Amino acid sequence: MTDVTITVNGSVRSASVPPETTLLKLLRDVFQLTGTKLGCDVGDCGACTVLVDGMAVNACLMLAAQADGRQVLTIEGLAMKDRLHPLQKVFEESGALQCGFCGPGMLLSAKALLDDNPDPSSHDIRDALAGNLCRCTGYSKIVEAVQDAARAMRDPRTEDTRQLEMHGHD
Amino acid sequence: MKSFGYVAAMDAKHAIELLAEHGAAAKILAGGTDLLVELKDTQRPPGIVVDISRARDLKDIVLTDEGLRIGALATHGEIMRSALIRDLCPALIEAAHSIGAVQTRNLGTIGGNLMTCVPSMDSGPALIALEAQVTVAGADGQRRMPLVDLFVGPRKTSLTPGQLLVEIVIPKPNLGKPAAFQKFGLRKGQALALVNAAAAFWIDDGKDAFKAPCIALGAVAPTVIRAPQAEAYLAGRAITPEAMAEAGRIAATEAKPISDFRASADYRRDLIAVLVKRCLAAAYARATAKTKERVS
Repeated sequence: MTDVTITVNGSVRSASVPPETTLLKLLRDVFQLTGTKLGCDVGDCGACTVLVDGMAVNACLMLAAQADGRQVLTIEGLAMKDRLHPLQKVFEESGALQCGFCGPGMLLSAKALLDDNPDPSSHDIRDALAGNLCRCTGYSKIVEAVQDAARAMRDPRTEDTRQLEMHGHD
Repeated sequence: MKSFGYVAAMDAKHAIELLAEHGAAAKILAGGTDLLVELKDTQRPPGIVVDISRARDLKDIVLTDEGLRIGALATHGEIMRSALIRDLCPALIEAAHSIGAVQTRNLGTIGGNLMTCVPSMDSGPALIALEAQVTVAGADGQRRMPLVDLFVGPRKTSLTPGQLLVEIVIPKPNLGKPAAFQKFGLRKGQALALVNAAAAFWIDDGKDAFKAPCIALGAVAPTVIRAPQAEAYLAGRAITPEAMAEAGRIAATEAKPISDFRASADYRRDLIAVLVKRCLAAAYARATAKTKERVS
């Protein structure tokens, strides 16, 4: 067994797991954070995307032991208390998600992009989301939603951004 | 996944000790983007996985007297963001960017890509066009060799159990050498190369001729290969679109592509001719842009 301690969505959590346990399995089966989805399990679909130290990775391709001591953000930690992240708000309002299965991964890849590049072009967005497959094939609305969210987050007058500044985020 | 033992190395020295201790039972985990897929699929897991992903001393990208040293654990994402690489060998950024998607590039490492040693690896051609060397370490010390000598065949390198790929070095004389990498896949994102290629050459001052041309091809032979006949054709020749196209046609005759479910051998040969021509043109455009920058 391997002892793993990670900070998930701001809380320190520990577990003792067999070495072959992936980060995805740890999150879903041990920590019961089932918002992160199991899709292809070989790094092709991006449904299991989480942020490790702010970087988008496929949780299915990382051993839990490799995440020891690191910060992990899952979809459960994207919203602040009772307030959705601007990306979540725009995705919801614009119907950018259809069945929703790709949503958690898609949103976290989009967050990693916007943290790094607050004003991405449509090409930048497509490049950043290339590892997240939408089985409903609704890519156009997703790209537009990320652009809308980026705009909302850049505009200091929007309420969401003020909230972000007041409470900080991750 | 079948169960296996696990141990994490804290630095390169520790990794070499662990590899010496466990010998052939050990399998090295770097970025894991290939290894985990393999471990999920296998009925015969390794005795122990030696996780080197925490060995920070294997991650550095630094300029030294001998050239640009890229630690084997540098991820494709780190390579894309490196100012040194952008400045001195931007073809490596084109190659890194063409690998997988963001998630793969954040975990996958350049050393892992080379050591997995699939013929379609995207890290190989640009490094070989720039005549990269590699440092290999084991319990008996370190040695340096040309990267081409690392590749033996599909999924087979010349390293023996106990040895670790430590770094890749672009020799100092080749830093700033105009070069480009290009790839054809079935899609733009997340696709293995049907063919990939890289070209590098200096421009002979005053004559506008090819000097020291290097052409490397991937996915068209058991390992990444050079195209020596195309290189010989170009050396000393005036830089023209016709010469670039002819070099592409010659390079296509030097490869031994296979037919598989992704593409036929004939199609791959056609792609080689096109890619080599485009790489040469892109490298030339890069060189002339840099000259203009210096003049203005």
